[in-house]
Amino acid sequence: MKKIGFLLLVLVLIIQPVAAQVQQEDFKPEDMTTFTIQVPHGVEGNGLAVRNSTLSAYIFFESYYDGNMNVTVELDLPKGFVLHEPSANSFTLQTEYDDWYRLVDFYIPADTPFGVYNITAKAVVDVEGTKHTIVRTTQLKVASKEEVANAVSVSQLIVPSDEDGYGDPSHPSNTLVVQETSPALKKLLQVTDLKIEKKELTSTYMGIELTNTGNSTIHVIVTYDILDIKTGEPVKAFKPDIMGMKADTLCYATVTLSPGSSSLISLPIYISPDAMGGDYLLKVKVKLTGTDWIAVTKDQKITSISRRWGPIITTFAASLLGITALGFFFSRPRKIMDRFKTRNLVLIALFGTVSFAAISLPMTILWDLSHAIFGPFSFLFTGLFNEILLYMLIASLVVLIPKPGVISLFMMVRFLLGGFITGSFTPITFITLSINAIILEFLLYVAGVTGKNPAPDNRLKMGIICGFSDVISGYVSFSVWMVLYRLFYSNWYIAVNLLIDGFLYTFIGTWFGISLGNRLKKVVE
Amino acid sequence: MIGARSIAEPTIKDTVIHRMDPRAKILILISTVFVAVSLDNQKTMFLLFLIILSGFVIAKMPAIKIKTLVILLVLLIWGTIYSQALFYSQLPRTVIFTIIRPDFPVLGWLTGGGLFVYEEGLHHGAVQGLRSASILSLGLLMCWTTDSRDMLNGLVGLKVPYSVAFMVITAVRFLPIIITEVATVITVQRLRGFNPKKFGSGIIKTLLNILTPTLANCVRRTGTLAVSIQSRAFRANPDRTSLKKLEFSNIDKVMITVFVFAAISIVVIKLLYNMYTSGIYYTSSLRPVYAIAGGYL
Repeated sequence: MKKIGFLLLVLVLIIQPVAAQVQQEDFKPEDMTTFTIQVPHGVEGNGLAVRNSTLSAYIFFESYYDGNMNVTVELDLPKGFVLHEPSANSFTLQTEYDDWYRLVDFYIPADTPFGVYNITAKAVVDVEGTKHTIVRTTQLKVASKEEVANAVSVSQLIVPSDEDGYGDPSHPSNTLVVQETSPALKKLLQVTDLKIEKKELTSTYMGIELTNTGNSTIHVIVTYDILDIKTGEPVKAFKPDIMGMKADTLCYATVTLSPGSSSLISLPIYISPDAMGGDYLLKVKVKLTGTDWIAVTKDQKITSISRRWGPIITTFAASLLGITALGFFFSRPRKIMDRFKTRNLVLIALFGTVSFAAISLPMTILWDLSHAIFGPFSFLFTGLFNEILLYMLIASLVVLIPKPGVISLFMMVRFLLGGFITGSFTPITFITLSINAIILEFLLYVAGVTGKNPAPDNRLKMGIICGFSDVISGYVSFSVWMVLYRLFYSNWYIAVNLLIDGFLYTFIGTWFGISLGNRLKKVVE
Repeated sequence: MIGARSIAEPTIKDTVIHRMDPRAKILILISTVFVAVSLDNQKTMFLLFLIILSGFVIAKMPAIKIKTLVILLVLLIWGTIYSQALFYSQLPRTVIFTIIRPDFPVLGWLTGGGLFVYEEGLHHGAVQGLRSASILSLGLLMCWTTDSRDMLNGLVGLKVPYSVAFMVITAVRFLPIIITEVATVITVQRLRGFNPKKFGSGIIKTLLNILTPTLANCVRRTGTLAVSIQSRAFRANPDRTSLKKLEFSNIDKVMITVFVFAAISIVVIKLLYNMYTSGIYYTSSLRPVYAIAGGYL
């Protein structure tokens, strides 16, 4: 029995290590785990850094083993590098495909000698009490700033581009279009796939081609600024807040440049409607990961074209309306003119002459003189002629001849007379006068001032109609100046001008004009 | 007033421009207006302005009209420069003078952050002033080299209804009379103690006191004139004959063709270019057209 017991003990002692050896052979660390290290994060292979920078090493461990494993990962940095946290991390992976990762920040001091450094990560895997060691090593080159700056370059800037950064020939190069909301812009907003609350925000893209001519993989962050070309200050209208975030949060890209490679990336450009037209400086900045140091900048002059669709549409609609009205008149001139007696035609012509002699002729000089002297406040003076006196004539003429068409004929005589004598055959005169005539004719007819049973004696009604009509024609006039003559006017100036010159002065002129018309009626009688 | 009359009336001479058919002048004027409105290139715009000014030399305009033109152009261009210096809304812009500070009570708020004179606005105003100056100069050249009767014949020749032409003729014929009448009324007002040159209330009182008697006289004349015209069979027949029959010369035809073709071409090219820059329409086959528009127009 003793022999049997002894033999069993020997067998157990022999079998136990063999069994352990069998189990050990089942777990193969290289096949059943993935263990990687990237320094800096994103760079697989030899990384590049400059002194006085903070980098993140990315450590990743994944298990393909169907069971528990305890792992201890330790990062071994070269001498002089400063870790921001403990170098060792322990964790347990319990199932197949369970993983662990960490970004480990470290600092490269300013006095670190240039050169290539080995960074090692060691993982000790404990499976069923058996420990396995896996080691990964990567290299990090600490280079001088000059070396990095010489290796990286922005070889091309494409503004605007498509989503992929390629040039878009359907738009002029180096040009951004600032527009009010239009269907094309709404489409652009959809492309960005951002639910931007400010619907009027425009967006487009710029393409940036980066080249790495060095021997190391370089990880960079690319961003940009749009600057005032004179002061060099960033223009906020081109980097507005989006969904409560600063545009910088969205307008950057991280790129890994392999040695001897080029990469084309795209960055979005957001344009707020407050952006002004003009010339700007686009400054693209390339930072090396881990430092605020800007390795490369590329400047390019860009032009912003400001398109305001409101005045454009107003001018287009007003021109169309004026030409249509003219076409209507030319299609049936006899029928229209026969509605007026010869006496009416003569009276309208004479009123036209008076308006020319008392308003147009003096204003030929006074208008420009007043603008030259008073500048933006000249309308307070010129309005005496252009609004009060003019509407006195118009209102008194309507009192004398309360027929539809009388104002159109009066305006036509004014336009032709002005053209013949002072050469003012201008598109602005045509559009403004025709719109003024059309609106006045329509409103006076609808309000019953002219027509079958005319009632031109109500001063308040006529004053409001004429004032309203002049506000509209005044706005059209501003739009035409802005669109056809490329002139600028502030919103406050337009508003004040329309309110005082357009409505108030016109109302006063109409009020007095009705009294004048009634007095002239007595002369006729 | 008499000075104003002599400035407003045409100077009739025998030059190439004077001999042109009024219809040709009107068509050239309309074409040039379209060209002036379409142009953005400063050099081309200045060239157009110089071409128009050379017309005054060819037409041998008298000194008083040249002086008037210069005064009008200076005021017009300065007015545009001044307004654009204040309202310029592009970048870069440099403040060279502050009229209203942003923190100025009420006005600072009303003007949306103050009122400044911008250096770049002065330049922009000067360039844009050329546009208005070109149109004004050509208009004056046309009306100073064409008798009003010829101009009206030209309008009738361009199918403007005779009744309208008649109204304009009546207005033109009465213009000297009414100007004289206004001058008389001003004299009377002065004798009554008004000072028409007094700024403010003086101007308003003078205007109101001129208007009523002048219009009363107009209304009185109307009846007499209407009877006189009707007694001469005005509007009795639909067709009218004219003493002077207008005929295009070969030069007129060439000029009209050149100007109308140039205007249509420039407007179409600029329209296509603007559609391209606005992202409305683009085709690669039009790239030479875009290049011409961007570089020269």
